[in-house]
Amino acid sequence: MTAYRRLFAFSNLSTLPFLVLVIGIAGYSWVQVVVMAFSHLRIEAGQFVWSAAGWDNFIAIMNNPLARYSIAVTAVFVAATVILSVAIGIGLALLVERSRRLARVSQIILLWPAIVAPVVVSLIWLLILSPNIGVLNKLLETLFLPSQDWLGTEIGALFAIILVDVWHWTPVTFLMIYTALCGLDGEAIEAARCDGASEWQVIRHIKLPMLMPAILGTVFIRAVMGVKAFDEMYLLTTGGPNNATTLVSLHIRDVFFDQLNYGYGSAFSVLTVVLLSLAIALVLAIRALRRSRFLNPMREANSQ
Amino acid sequence: MTGPTPNTVLPAAPPGRVRRRRLTGSQSLCEIALAGALVIFTAPILWMILLTFQTDRAIISMSWEFQFTVQNILAILSPDEPFRTQTLNSIAIVAGTVILCGIASTLAGYSLSRLRMNRWLKYLVAGSCAILPLLPPMALVPGFYVTLIQTGLLGSLTGLILLNTILNLPFATLLMKIGFDEIPPALQEAASIDGASDLRTFTTIMLPLVAPSLITTSLITAIMTWNEFLMGLTMTSGGTTSPLSVGIASLVQPYEVRWGQLAAIGSLAVVPIMIISLVASKRIIAGMTRGAVK
Repeated sequence: MTAYRRLFAFSNLSTLPFLVLVIGIAGYSWVQVVVMAFSHLRIEAGQFVWSAAGWDNFIAIMNNPLARYSIAVTAVFVAATVILSVAIGIGLALLVERSRRLARVSQIILLWPAIVAPVVVSLIWLLILSPNIGVLNKLLETLFLPSQDWLGTEIGALFAIILVDVWHWTPVTFLMIYTALCGLDGEAIEAARCDGASEWQVIRHIKLPMLMPAILGTVFIRAVMGVKAFDEMYLLTTGGPNNATTLVSLHIRDVFFDQLNYGYGSAFSVLTVVLLSLAIALVLAIRALRRSRFLNPMREANSQ
Repeated sequence: MTGPTPNTVLPAAPPGRVRRRRLTGSQSLCEIALAGALVIFTAPILWMILLTFQTDRAIISMSWEFQFTVQNILAILSPDEPFRTQTLNSIAIVAGTVILCGIASTLAGYSLSRLRMNRWLKYLVAGSCAILPLLPPMALVPGFYVTLIQTGLLGSLTGLILLNTILNLPFATLLMKIGFDEIPPALQEAASIDGASDLRTFTTIMLPLVAPSLITTSLITAIMTWNEFLMGLTMTSGGTTSPLSVGIASLVQPYEVRWGQLAAIGSLAVVPIMIISLVASKRIIAGMTRGAVK
């Protein structure tokens, strides 16, 4: 009786709304995705008709060059945006920390790109990059430079979505690294300055190593965000030209909602999540290995 | 040897001016570089706001001409266009999501932080808080789509409120847990020694103390929901049923783009959020960094 009452105590009951929403609805929906991934699905008279498909949908993915391409181009996109946005974010954080007059205002202004709706971000950049009305071409023409048509070429479009994503999310990397930078222990930095270290040496040998945990955390978060990317590309390039910017998310939407190929779309969702989980597991495993004393006997000595 | 007399003491500089010493060479280089970066990060937004007040002819023209017209704003606000309804939809979705997410995340965050709860339940809640944000929303869309069809919520505001709540709940719960962690445990102990039940301690002691965290969480949830696009796109059929973000996207047509109106509706979606950020930048930054770092 007491065990029964304990189960319905406030401490457990208070998680009920969370459980209903996350485990109930999201969990149930995910089960549906997995079931659909192994089914052939058709709509007949407004009703779904299910039939078992085994591995058919996954075999179809293996045989689809666009599916393979979308995974590859997503990997390129993630790598490029993570490296650029984290590097620029570190640079901005160091600049803002040194700045006297612009430090306060930078924090507010640099917040703006990150809180603008992604749809509006793509709209903003359409107004800049559009070959017909974009301000970039106006600028280039005023300066007597050749005009650009990035959105019309395959490499250019890929470059454009990377640029837009970096512009959009670098403020987040800046904020995280800047917060960590402000929380650093000032003593080591002061000591290095007293010993005559130049500003560059302080950054290179003191600040960056101390920031490493925050930087790695930011890299992780940005990488996950890169895999999720959808909104900006949907408007800016719609996956084109010639599917050159068809990221994983765009491919799933296209297959599921335009081609109405529900089984294949769900299978690709499952595959994406499996690949992402493997990547995350790999990162965690490497981290665990590097932390173990077996591979890094110097660590003990350093930490003391 | 007298101390400084009142005459010789300099008037206390106002706090803002204390730091305004003359800048050294490398220092001013640093300020210039930062100013350049700020221009790069703001100019695109300001350009869109500027285009809001231009006619389509001026936007298309290859020379630099500028006018001032409010025609674009009037056009998108006219009753013939769906944007008024879509704005109301977005406001309703944001309000519903903030309330639902606020209730669920406060309760769950309190249990995680403060209460001795069932161990397996704790793993379940904490685990889903960690895993759900890692999944691409697009991977869940097929499942949500079928679930909403089965429950008859496809295309409804209720459906979108539920989905937005689910997407924001793990992060919100984490923020609320951190918020409860910061309240000194002595207060809770004092209440329970005085014989208050868990529920009573929660409503009378903890809830008022955690209000600042709840405001931060609600702000972040509201911004994320206002900006949400994917669920609105896939779970509604467009037109007057969809949120504003989807309405914006529908203005980009392959053949005839109304550039000025496009800029106007973009500004309509962005300016409220920029104003909020001026007032509450500290809270937004705290919410974004605190939740992300832990």
